[in-house]
Amino acid sequence: MKKIRIHPGNLGKQLLSTGNTRTKRILSFFGHSLLFLITGVSVVSVLFIFIFIFRDALPFFKLEGFKEFFTSTKWYPSSDNPSFGALSLFFGSAIVTTGAVIVSVPLGVIAAVCLSDVLSFSLRQIMKPVIEILAAIPSVAYGFFALVIFAPLLQDSGGNLLAISSWIVCTPLILLITIIGSGLLASKISPVNSLYIRIIAALIIGIPLFTGLWFLSSHISGIQISSGTNALNVSIILGIMALPTVVSVSDDSLTAVDRSLREGSYALGATRAETLIKVVIPAAKGGIVAAVILGIMRAIGETMVVWMASGNAAKIPHPWFNFLEPIRTLTATIAGDMGEADQVTGSSRYHVLFALALCLLLFTFICNLIGEKFIKRSKKITR
Amino acid sequence: MKLQTRKLLDKSFTGLNLFSAFLLISALIIVLGPIFFKGIGAFVFKGTVEYRRMIFDQFGRGNKEKIFKEIAYSQKARKFIYDNISDFEKGIIVKSYIKETKKIYKEYKEYLSSLELPNPHKNELRRKSRSLYSLFIKALESTDKEKVENILNQILSDPYRKRFDSTPMTKMFHLVTRYSEIVNQVDLSNREVYLENLIDLKDQLRTLLGPFPKDPKPILPRNQYGQTRWDRSLVKLNDVLFIEKYDYSDSSEMGQIVQYPRSEIFKGTTVEHIFSYLEDNRESILLPKTVFYWRFFTDVPLDSNIFGGIKPAILGTFYLTFGALLFSIPLGIIAAIYLTEFAKENWLIQLIRTCIGTLAGVPSIVFGLFGLAFFINTIHVSSSKSVLAGSMTLAILVLPTVIRASEEAIRTVPHTYKEASLSLGASRWRAVLTVILPAALPGILTGIIISMGRAAGETAPIIFTAAVSVGQPLKLWETLSQATPALSWNIYNLCTEHEAVDEIRHVQYGMVLTLVLLVLLINIIAIILRARINKRLIGRT
Repeated sequence: MKKIRIHPGNLGKQLLSTGNTRTKRILSFFGHSLLFLITGVSVVSVLFIFIFIFRDALPFFKLEGFKEFFTSTKWYPSSDNPSFGALSLFFGSAIVTTGAVIVSVPLGVIAAVCLSDVLSFSLRQIMKPVIEILAAIPSVAYGFFALVIFAPLLQDSGGNLLAISSWIVCTPLILLITIIGSGLLASKISPVNSLYIRIIAALIIGIPLFTGLWFLSSHISGIQISSGTNALNVSIILGIMALPTVVSVSDDSLTAVDRSLREGSYALGATRAETLIKVVIPAAKGGIVAAVILGIMRAIGETMVVWMASGNAAKIPHPWFNFLEPIRTLTATIAGDMGEADQVTGSSRYHVLFALALCLLLFTFICNLIGEKFIKRSKKITR
Repeated sequence: MKLQTRKLLDKSFTGLNLFSAFLLISALIIVLGPIFFKGIGAFVFKGTVEYRRMIFDQFGRGNKEKIFKEIAYSQKARKFIYDNISDFEKGIIVKSYIKETKKIYKEYKEYLSSLELPNPHKNELRRKSRSLYSLFIKALESTDKEKVENILNQILSDPYRKRFDSTPMTKMFHLVTRYSEIVNQVDLSNREVYLENLIDLKDQLRTLLGPFPKDPKPILPRNQYGQTRWDRSLVKLNDVLFIEKYDYSDSSEMGQIVQYPRSEIFKGTTVEHIFSYLEDNRESILLPKTVFYWRFFTDVPLDSNIFGGIKPAILGTFYLTFGALLFSIPLGIIAAIYLTEFAKENWLIQLIRTCIGTLAGVPSIVFGLFGLAFFINTIHVSSSKSVLAGSMTLAILVLPTVIRASEEAIRTVPHTYKEASLSLGASRWRAVLTVILPAALPGILTGIIISMGRAAGETAPIIFTAAVSVGQPLKLWETLSQATPALSWNIYNLCTEHEAVDEIRHVQYGMVLTLVLLVLLINIIAIILRARINKRLIGRT
């Protein structure tokens, strides 16, 4: 193969020569091995990443042991008597990832259903680039948005913003519940199908729900947010960043569900909603789970947004589910501390960052394996 | 359930779906809207006369005569302010008076000793002049208005005054007269307060208008010019006109910020007039004019990005992106060819695929650490951070994207192509090289373009391997050993670690817009390219 690459003019002659099959076979073998070696670069890269991160993480565990690292929340790596309790960092990563999942999964899955089954072809052609552009925006641009635009907004009018978003989220849900509930209620009240009864039933269910929402939102709008750079901010932005992943992977698995399944369901008289909820989504369940896992991976591995907009306070908020307090994540700690720790290569302060990276790496590796398994399984079901 | 309910439910489900799609689009608009809208401000804005002066001084651009004329015009408009302040200063800063008086007294003593007079006569004059001198110093140092006026009157009505005519002492009487005028205007007991406020006012005026006419030339460019942008000027003008104070009158709430007019502080003095003057004549003082600063892309930054453009960062991003592609394209395409055309499905290939998947899932910051630990600390591609090390790290990061996209592209080439070429007697190698690859090329290109966008936007992997916050544009050969500024890293750096974060918002927005536009452009090219391929594929089958 090497010979061929040196003389491209002879390429055809050498490849097509019918006489010398042995040379041909040897050349082909070498070619194969060369291609295989080049393909192996990615394997070697993964191996090296694991080896080198592990190699630099090991001294930390030798020096400091495991107990403090995983159980203490005291993160003072640069003090004279340093302590390396990374629990609050793990917690920070966990809370923003949870927040991102809460934001991105419902929206993403519904949007994926919309893409695969509801929108017309031409509208889909518009939506796909939108999702691609959302995915393409650099993370530092999202971070900039979170820090410079979103954080001041949250700080100044956070309560109102939360109240408005609670309306945006809850109104469709309440409408849905009202429609289902009024249908059920009306059929119980009278067997005759009357519009008036349905309207009354809808009012009976809808009014309390909306007053509840109104009270909730007026309660929320009183909240004062002391700092705009907090877990909520980061969760929302990470949610938006994870959306494209969730949408495209679930969309793939939904479109992969065979047409015959849908057609069978329609033939039995099901509406589109029933077909989707009872047939298509269960069939694509594996792919959707994989989408969620990939979304989690995207959120937990994200650095710039959390570094810029999470407030970087290494503590567990009080109470622990308080999204309005600043937190600090694994990735932001690595990015933020390495600049100083690099000066003291060889100390625990330097190696602890590799230990954090190792945890991150192992987590994403396991997630990846699980995700792949789910994708494979969903492929088996849908085909 | 009733049919009607089911139908309604179906419709509302559709509504929910459309609503989610709407939310998706609005998320895009909410994120990109402000970036676009404010990012334009880095390129198109109203530049003041200070902007044109800065561009002329630092970059040598602009019509010299016109700019000098403008500067002269604005200086004329500013004269009123400077004059008023220097007048006022004299009453407040008595140091200059004391200094001058001492000088005059010394001069007089010398004059006296040079005179040929009888000694007692001389002594009398000396004693008198000394008493006058010490009286005036006392008046200057005192803040009691009545006392000062008394002393000044005493000096001016001194019987000896005539005898000092046409000697250096006349200068002192001049000073005394001038000072007595000032004393009438200024509340002397407030001298300390005035002084404090005047220094603050002068600082604010300096940031708005640039250094005062008699100031020595400041070292930092940011202090050499006033506000170069009209929007910033208005903010700074507000700082000149008002002081922010906290109002704690309502003890139940947090302190509210109140804008307290600065003119109140200087009420009754000459300085009071400059505030209304400044407000009325702000346009002729600063001469705002709309400029289209496209050279933002090509100018080097001055004084840590306070003036100038972002050339080094753009260049750095290009180097890093193309460096990453240089390594990842050959590796990626060859791997894709092998995986699709030559590999048999066995456990080894399965492992390779799993590894590619794993590589795609590794967090970008871990790539950064790996690049530091491997490329820089272990195999020493360069002694410290360098573009080369950063490109290699980025190359590994985008490798899975390139492999997957190329694989996909090769797979979409219809089997018939390969079969036809094989049936014509071509070997497998030849079929791959001359038939399948050309047919798959647009698809492979799409994948490459998308990974290009990814490489251009990544920040975390280059933090430890390639990026510095301040630097000059690099020459091509310097990329092997030197670190570079890059758009993504500098955005982070400017909006978190810069010493004047609020002053350079426009640069930050401009930088974000540049990066976003770059990435979007790359992606739009990819989207269009793919749409054309799809059309061609549809047409074919």
